[in-house]
Amino acid sequence: MTENIKFTVNGNELEAKSGELLIEACEKSGIHIPRFCWHKRLDPVGMCRMCLVEVETPRGKALVPSCTTEITEDLVVDTESAVVTKAQEGILEFLLINHPLDCPVCDKAGECPLQDQTMAYGPGESRFVEEKRHFEKPIPISEIILLDRERCILCARCTRFSDEISGDPLIEFIQRGNKTEVNTFPDEPFRSYFSGNTVQICPVGALTSTSYRFKARPWDLKKVSSTCNCCSVGCSIELNTSQNKMLRILGEDNEFTNQGWLSDKGRYNFDYLHSENRVLNILSKEEDSFSKISISDATEMIKNKIAELDNPNIKFILGSSSTNEEYFVINEIANYLNKDKFLSKDSSNIYFGDDLLFEGYFGDQYSQAKLEDLDSSETIVVWAEDIKDNLPILYLRIKKAVKNGSKLIVFGHTNTAIAGLADFYFGKDIVSNKFELIRNPNEIEDLKNNIEGKKVTVITGKSTVFQKKESLDKLINYLNEKAELKVFNSFSKGNTFGALQNIDEVKGLNEFCNEFDTNAKNIVFTIGVNPVNSSYFSQKIKENLIASDFVISLDLFVNETTELADLILPTTSLGEKEGTVTNMEMRVMKQNKILPAPGSTLSEWEYLVSILNVLGENVNYKNEIEINNYLSEQYKNQEKVPTFDNLNKPSNLFGVLNKKDININIKDLKEDNFSLLMVRRLYGDSSTQINSPSISMLGAHKFIELNSTTAKKYGINSKVGNFIQGPNSILINIEINEYLPDDLVIAPINRRGFEDIDPSLDFNITEAKNREELNVN
Amino acid sequence: MKETLLLTKHMRENPENSHLIDVYEKNNGYSAARKVFKENNPGEVIEEIKTSNIRGRGGAGFPTGVKWGFLAEDEERYLVINADESEPGTFKDRILLERDPHQLIEGIIVTSFASNISKAFIYIRGEYAKPARRVQDAVEQAYEKGYLGKNIFDSGKDLDVVVHLGAGAYICGEETALLNSLEGRRGEPRLKPPYFPAVKGLYNKPTLVNNVETISSVPWIINNSGKDYAKLGVEGSTGTRIFSLSGHVNNPGNFEIEMGCSFGEFIDTFGNGIKENKTVKAFIPGGASAPWFTGEMLDIKMTIDDVANAGSMLGSGAVVVMDEDTNLVLAAKSIVSFFAHESCGQCTPCREGTTWLEMILERISSGRGRASDIDLLLDVCDNISPGLAWPPQMTTICPLGPSAVSPITSLMGSFREEVESLLPKKVLINND
Repeated sequence: MTENIKFTVNGNELEAKSGELLIEACEKSGIHIPRFCWHKRLDPVGMCRMCLVEVETPRGKALVPSCTTEITEDLVVDTESAVVTKAQEGILEFLLINHPLDCPVCDKAGECPLQDQTMAYGPGESRFVEEKRHFEKPIPISEIILLDRERCILCARCTRFSDEISGDPLIEFIQRGNKTEVNTFPDEPFRSYFSGNTVQICPVGALTSTSYRFKARPWDLKKVSSTCNCCSVGCSIELNTSQNKMLRILGEDNEFTNQGWLSDKGRYNFDYLHSENRVLNILSKEEDSFSKISISDATEMIKNKIAELDNPNIKFILGSSSTNEEYFVINEIANYLNKDKFLSKDSSNIYFGDDLLFEGYFGDQYSQAKLEDLDSSETIVVWAEDIKDNLPILYLRIKKAVKNGSKLIVFGHTNTAIAGLADFYFGKDIVSNKFELIRNPNEIEDLKNNIEGKKVTVITGKSTVFQKKESLDKLINYLNEKAELKVFNSFSKGNTFGALQNIDEVKGLNEFCNEFDTNAKNIVFTIGVNPVNSSYFSQKIKENLIASDFVISLDLFVNETTELADLILPTTSLGEKEGTVTNMEMRVMKQNKILPAPGSTLSEWEYLVSILNVLGENVNYKNEIEINNYLSEQYKNQEKVPTFDNLNKPSNLFGVLNKKDININIKDLKEDNFSLLMVRRLYGDSSTQINSPSISMLGAHKFIELNSTTAKKYGINSKVGNFIQGPNSILINIEINEYLPDDLVIAPINRRGFEDIDPSLDFNITEAKNREELNVN
Repeated sequence: MKETLLLTKHMRENPENSHLIDVYEKNNGYSAARKVFKENNPGEVIEEIKTSNIRGRGGAGFPTGVKWGFLAEDEERYLVINADESEPGTFKDRILLERDPHQLIEGIIVTSFASNISKAFIYIRGEYAKPARRVQDAVEQAYEKGYLGKNIFDSGKDLDVVVHLGAGAYICGEETALLNSLEGRRGEPRLKPPYFPAVKGLYNKPTLVNNVETISSVPWIINNSGKDYAKLGVEGSTGTRIFSLSGHVNNPGNFEIEMGCSFGEFIDTFGNGIKENKTVKAFIPGGASAPWFTGEMLDIKMTIDDVANAGSMLGSGAVVVMDEDTNLVLAAKSIVSFFAHESCGQCTPCREGTTWLEMILERISSGRGRASDIDLLLDVCDNISPGLAWPPQMTTICPLGPSAVSPITSLMGSFREEVESLLPKKVLINND
């Protein structure tokens, strides 16, 4: 640690670390210096000049920007002198002469740094009588972002974010001087997974989101902190509502997880809450159509069905959107209804709806990683499904660590985005097309040199459902033996770790299909999960659900899975329920409620407790707090336990890390021959996304990726083609990706049209010569 | 009074073909380069330059030998020749590039030897197509002769020279903006600190950035001696300097003289007096960025220190003369327009302020001024360059913004009535 040094601001002696930026050191001591371009997560550029202060130099007092000035011993600073005040007032006048001052119709008004700082530091009136600078306003720069260049004050926050943080510099300054503007390159829209962050950090209303534009005034918004559930990173978010409608999600700066940033999916995937397609009443299937029934009729129906079927097999397929409290109740009811009452470990009746779940590396011999471990790792090793698409903020954290000097080693063929950042990319010579490790890890020089005796974090997971555990075991055990290793089991879906923590034993969809006994009587619960779409096992699951005697779905929408149900119990979602979730570091975090449950919807646990009560089991949880209190008792040995109360206190807002035994029981698939590698993309056709109009178009793009040699083999020269398998023919864009090995074709599993494709069967790709390139996305 | 020809001697004696390597060598060319490789170690060359007391000819006038001594140690260091001559009124580097490119290359060879540099760049102004062609040809000739490339002059040392053409931006004459441009980034000045080129320059490596005229002087200093060079001119402004004379004179052009004579003497002797025998109303002593002098100040000596003490700068050595009939408001507007057009747009006060100043001057000069405009002009200037002092304080990142302030403060300082005559009278409103 560097020693604190003394410096003087406005006559008061303060302390700071040597080399700390003046603007930050002052902020910590309660002295606010106005600023536009400076942002604590971006490199300082000193461009807006709003943060000018006077410092004493050997040649007298000088104006310097406090965002680029480092604290030195005995620095003497004046932030309020007449010269400083005049300069700041002058800068604001300059910023305003060409600003349209269209605050009455600007979404930013009310939370606008330009507006606020003009009130605090600016001149009272304008002396500018000439015509202002004009630009066409606003222009769309992507499907979800609009740019109003007249409002822009050229602070370079958006350009720096996309260059330094997300690494896709698609938004840049063009022209110079008074004509300078921010814009995208011709024919190259601002298509980034992280573009929404630029809207959030824009200090004026220049960048706006289509989803929020003209929807509300900031002073009308109700706000609450919560945790995003789009992937297992667990980003801290702020939910903004008005008149009981979710209007906006912002990133909160949580040092431990997202550090202020969000993926666009996390930020914009909320319109579905208010979709007219949402199921708001309990639906019972009679003949072939659904009709509304009451909760008491529904629970009675379940009770009667169980009695009528006489000791049926009752199974649960779970999704990743439940809270820890809900998983806990699911575990209770599953135990209660399991006719074998969990006599042996393998008799669990709970199946988790994620093809890529595997047994993972838990237990005492593996040290579990935290996100902050990435920053102190000398080397980061990745063998997992595509990180940028499935754990986008983890991608940013890795990118940051690499920028600060960590070495990055990437294995396999799915992580092509992160491979671009890698110091060493181990492709086809080391990992076969079937995802077997071809060479012994200790024979790979570049691996050996960068891990032996070093601090290493490994991010590990299945790249495809076909991948055998053996390959990973070989690598992980080698790393664990030779390096100071921390392990991330990168199960990427929402609250997977909450499910693992609160459910005695979890199996996979393959186990569900294998254990399903068509000769027996079967009742299946599906809870927040749509395995009939986007799973390798879709067809089998569909057959099994059809063959079941009674299917109960707890969900938000009628979709491929719930349309097969006999009873649909409509549930609550983000912002409509309270509870905790556990992220990939095992950090327990809080989700808060800000919206009333719409229609007759109830939370999953409320349905399940009602069912238990009707069945005669005396369960008395009245609210989430009671369940949470009960859950928290398991963490008695810790200094703090993840009770709602603890997690709501600002000092501990960011959660409690904990450990618990985890039981995952998943076997390798028998098949290992596949010709098509199907991977999950960030945007897809989930029920929530296709019912969110502001981002639904982002998951519509259909494409495959292959390298140019493979393309030649199929005789493809165009960018458009047909993907053909049996009776299915899909019109696709063809993207050449030279990171891929020969003979490997990648297709998205979560895009419409691909749900009927079987990756273990042959397929063909043909050119679609008479078609222009698809402009679907 | 006569010219003293050091840098322009060769081109004057061989007006047709001074740019060719054979002609240059016939006139003792590349002897300085041969000499240092044979007789000197790098430290001695730096000492010689220090003894000569030559100061940078780009405008700032920083002692060249001291600058060379500052260059931080590193395996890779670069030399960058600033040939982005764009200061209005300045055209001296142009003749050095166009008519004596080998003198520059020889200077680069000696400088690189002194500072242990193996890669040099010549960044030439985009509009200088012919000079750039001449320099490129000369570099190729030097490569053919083995004066550049591997093992130059059989010394065991390597030196590569890259000629790079700018894209038409005045700001790229600012050394850190030049480095950004050379790296393929936007031509915007870097923050100082931390980006002092001698420590963190091109590609973040220690980099010497020197003007064409400065480096072209190096061969003479080596061939003769630092002592001989220091004997020329006056103390603090040693050696000769090429002044570019333009404006309302009878004979504009480049003239190489020892520093120390007065502006009046210079204008009369070489400019052959003012056109139509008019008197001088004002003149710019050192390029468009420099505050103006009035016709009464022609006695000031043409040295770096004398001009600085009188409140301006010798800058790039461009003397622009304005006669008694010049509309100084239009003259100031013309200069301000130039800076507004050339502002990089990076920092607020320069981007917004210079254009605003241009708009106000446009209003005044076209008869649409307001009584409050003088106060407004000065206050906007004050927000770019607080205190309106010389040398300027600045709210900007680089001195381009304050450069646009110079002509306005000059105008308001000595010719305020001329501005006031274009404005309506102030109307006093009695509020009682």
